[in-house]
Amino acid sequence: MSNTMHNRLMLIIALILAAVYLFPLYWMYITALKTGSAMFATPPQFWPSDPQWQIYGDVWRSRNMGRYMVNSLVIAFGAVSLICVLGVGCAYVLARYRNVWVDIGLFLILMLQVLPASLMITPIFVGFSQIGLLASPRFAVILAIAAKSMPFFVVLVRATFMSVPQELEEAALVDGNSRIGAFWHIVLPLARNGILVSAILIFMQAFGEFVYSKSIIQAVELQPASVGLNSFMGPNTNEWNNIMAYATMYVTPILAIFVLLQRRIVSGLTSGALK
Amino acid sequence: MKRLLSSITDGKGFDILLVAFPLGYLFLMSGLPLLYNVLMSFQEVDMFSRGSFWRPFVGLKNYRDLFAMPETLPILYNTGIFVVASIAGQFLLGFGLALFFWTNFPGATWLRGLFLVSWVMPGLVVGAIWNWILSGDFGVLNFLLRETGIIDGNIFWRSDPDFSLWAVIIANIWLGMAFNMILLSVGLSAIPKDLYEAAELDGANAFQRFWTITLPMMRSTIGAIISLGLIFTLQQFDLFAAITSGGPNNSSNVTQYWAWDLSFRQYDFAKGATISVIMIIFVMFASVVYVRSTRHEVRG
Repeated sequence: MSNTMHNRLMLIIALILAAVYLFPLYWMYITALKTGSAMFATPPQFWPSDPQWQIYGDVWRSRNMGRYMVNSLVIAFGAVSLICVLGVGCAYVLARYRNVWVDIGLFLILMLQVLPASLMITPIFVGFSQIGLLASPRFAVILAIAAKSMPFFVVLVRATFMSVPQELEEAALVDGNSRIGAFWHIVLPLARNGILVSAILIFMQAFGEFVYSKSIIQAVELQPASVGLNSFMGPNTNEWNNIMAYATMYVTPILAIFVLLQRRIVSGLTSGALK
Repeated sequence: MKRLLSSITDGKGFDILLVAFPLGYLFLMSGLPLLYNVLMSFQEVDMFSRGSFWRPFVGLKNYRDLFAMPETLPILYNTGIFVVASIAGQFLLGFGLALFFWTNFPGATWLRGLFLVSWVMPGLVVGAIWNWILSGDFGVLNFLLRETGIIDGNIFWRSDPDFSLWAVIIANIWLGMAFNMILLSVGLSAIPKDLYEAAELDGANAFQRFWTITLPMMRSTIGAIISLGLIFTLQQFDLFAAITSGGPNNSSNVTQYWAWDLSFRQYDFAKGATISVIMIIFVMFASVVYVRSTRHEVRG
């Protein structure tokens, strides 16, 4: 009896904490629906009296958001594909062996993971401009993001491969599979979920990437939504309801994916990040 | 030739091939830029020499010039404050939340995971939201602080040089707190429960149990999380771009934003590279600490 009381009390406190923590998100959704004058009312309205639903369509059209979102998707899909093609095999080998070479490889990968993008962009930009890569800026951004995020992906996927029992692969080899066959038909299907979750995490990161896109992509038609949001926010802007509507449309798909896959994402993250 | 082919389909060659491509790619796209960065910090890079690899060497001139600039020391100081305050806030709040959710009532896992939404959001969006919350005249944070009587007049978070850095720190604590909490929860759940039962039988109170069991058992986790925090804080760029742009008058500028600003706003790529080199050495140091504190797990 007192145990259920205790549980209920804890749950209520937890809900209050979550509500306080998620207030900024709530404020984004609410501000987007306010009229220009309601936005600057004192005291602020915590529930919009006159929700402006048409703001989403207006902002989508006036800011040309479709183009920005397509560019974000192109960059995110490109980076994730490149990372998966290169990173999965690397993670598999690093999980399968335990020797000094694997330790060195892991150490190098961890070191590359920590380089701040805003510091690496200077040499990347100058180098890319010298070899002419800036002529296809979105591709250049994909290459840079792939290099930045691949180490994290390898660390996460390696943890997944470690949980695949090696006996299964050995049995497949005894049964006459080649290494490629065993990898392709046995190990990869077993690790599929972990790879998928890691790829989704990387996708979310690449979808919101800012530094590389801002520095490399000069043409407005090729810029992703993060750069579009940045140029929407001038220093003295007062269009906060429009900006929040933009942010809402940008971030809601990511939030939806996250809430749906929350359990898997959190467990994938925790199994990899500390190992 | 046949031996090579069969090695690729069926032996060591397969492994080497799988590792060679990604590592080669990483070397090309991360390793080379890193070295190029060091090279550029010893060269004179201007609009004319940017396109060629053979630029005049100037020795340590970039470094000397950098430290002769009046804004260098304040910006380094800001970076220090930003890092220490962000990590302290993220860690303490995250630890508090992790301990709270550790009691494991129904729904705890799901609610705890929900906190991580701040971490998956694009940094620019987080910055935009906090920019609006922290706004001077109409910001909701000022309203709440006024109503609760904590402040009398509005704080102009973004334009007051005394507060602009703290505006970014507040947003950064919100952003990184959940990540700290999740990783600390993993560490907490790894502590054997019977230790606490034994301590309770011996008459240790909750504070003593925390001080003599939880903290010592969490030592390597805490080390890893603080060094990870240092790494992530030094990567934080989006919030500066979205909230203060380093202003007003560099009062909220930090090295990682300044390096970008020098390169891409003032086109002084040599100085940008020079700061990058200095900061990357710091980050590398942090990551050695991180690798050391997780080493026992890497080795298995």
